Amino acid sequence: MRWLTNPVAQFLAAGLVTLVVVVVATSALSRSAADEEAIADARSLTWVLAQSVAEPEIPPGLVDGDAAAIDRLDRTALDRLLVGDVLRVKLWDAEGTVLYSDRTELIGAVYPLGDDEVEVLTNGGTEAELSDLGRPENRFERALGGDLLEVYTRIESPEGEPLLFEAYLGVDDIRRSRAQILDRFLPITLGALLALVALGTPLVLLLSRRLSRAARERESLLEAAVRASDAERLRIARDLHDGVVQDLAGSSLALSTIASRAGDADRHELEALARSLRVNMRSLRSLLVEIYPPDLHTGGLAAAVDDLVAPLVADGVEVDVDVTGTEDAPLPAIGLLWRVAQEAVRNVARHARADRMSLTVRREGDRMVLEVVDDGVGFAPDDLVVEDRFGLRAAGSLVREHAGTLEVESAPGNGTVVRMEVPIG
Amino acid sequence: MSSTKSIPAALAVTCLTACLTAGLAAPAASATGDDDDRVIRTGSCSGSADWKLEVKTDDGRLEVEGEVDSNVSGQRWRWTLRHNGSVSERGVGTTSGRSGSFEVERKVVDLAGSDAIVFRAVRDGQVCRGVVNY
Repeated sequence: MRWLTNPVAQFLAAGLVTLVVVVVATSALSRSAADEEAIADARSLTWVLAQSVAEPEIPPGLVDGDAAAIDRLDRTALDRLLVGDVLRVKLWDAEGTVLYSDRTELIGAVYPLGDDEVEVLTNGGTEAELSDLGRPENRFERALGGDLLEVYTRIESPEGEPLLFEAYLGVDDIRRSRAQILDRFLPITLGALLALVALGTPLVLLLSRRLSRAARERESLLEAAVRASDAERLRIARDLHDGVVQDLAGSSLALSTIASRAGDADRHELEALARSLRVNMRSLRSLLVEIYPPDLHTGGLAAAVDDLVAPLVADGVEVDVDVTGTEDAPLPAIGLLWRVAQEAVRNVARHARADRMSLTVRREGDRMVLEVVDDGVGFAPDDLVVEDRFGLRAAGSLVREHAGTLEVESAPGNGTVVRMEVPIG
Repeated sequence: MSSTKSIPAALAVTCLTACLTAGLAAPAASATGDDDDRVIRTGSCSGSADWKLEVKTDDGRLEVEGEVDSNVSGQRWRWTLRHNGSVSERGVGTTSGRSGSFEVERKVVDLAGSDAIVFRAVRDGQVCRGVVNY
């Protein structure tokens, strides 16, 4: 899943999400606009048909149900009324009598008019609504299939009677035709977005590469600084080891030799002086271990840990070290074990006032486990001083970077347990 | 509407009425019924001409065909088509061809109940009149 952090992938993903949102929103708006346009078109068409075709062609006598008048309207107007999306027409009088319809079975039948229809018949205007195909006067429209839009408007007979002209239009066809028109705008919207993404992607790619390059350069500088620091620390440690430590070892041996030849009164003082020198020498070696980490690959973790705990042993702490399972462990994992062990042992030496400490390194499946347990004074997590909290947090951060876990359990008076697991698979 | 309308029992009455209206002494009106729903009636005009009236249904309408056969080409006849008593259509027809006939074909609306179709043609005192109650 590393690609998720890639800025280009993020940009493209954001672009894709935006594209989907725009498509969905545009489609919804298009449908809504198509419906509105369809209704507006249907009203306009119905009004034009009513005023320019139906009303002029209504023959005298139609309102009285005259058969010849019905015939003449049927012959002269029907072909001009059933145009476009108009699938059916009906002509009503105020009493709800169907004076004419292309569905001739309805002619002469009487159905009660709805409130909206009476309103239009009384006050004029044009109304549109989805047709209720459950009503008996609409039974023949069921066979037309799909939703029908029922649009009605008022006209007048030659005798001056108000009539209701009603047209039924296929909504699906209208909606489809209007949607086709509106869909033409969709490619423009999508094209603009795609063009934006297409133009933006190289820029983001360029920017991302520049940032990556800058990060790599910064990393290289840091690595160079670390290497320089390591080299300097190595030089200091080597100088101390080859100079001061060797001198102290020689002085200690010389004092021991002199003490063996001296009288009883001086021998004790000389032997105490020799012991003090040896203690200082061990402290110095431990300091050297801290100044420059040992070569874990060559010397092994066990030897390094022995040097690490030497000051505790010198202070009289009973130390139990058990390091196993590190033979084929990768060097990064060993380094991590070493760093955390170093932090844990340092905390024991500084704060624990422990009588016993055990340091265990072992392998559990595909993980290496480090446990540092002491019987010291322990601490409440909230009472940690900033410096120590930083040390543990830094160690925890390091462990997490290697997909491991670090747990610190402690309470005042109950010692401390530091447990770390790191995968080696 | 029934699919077939054959010669009804009231044919004689209808025929007699038609003949009397047309002023004919003994009209030779007749009708035939096929398997379909058409009704055909024929008869003689007051002169030497013959008439024929055919009615059949067509998509909610009645297709009406009126024909006058005078055996003389070039005669102009004024004709009228009545539907339930009202003049649905009228015009002028001219006989033509070897048969000397003209034909009128119109559609009227098939209304609820019985539709009375009357085809009438006149020329120089000759009257042809056919009636179908469909």
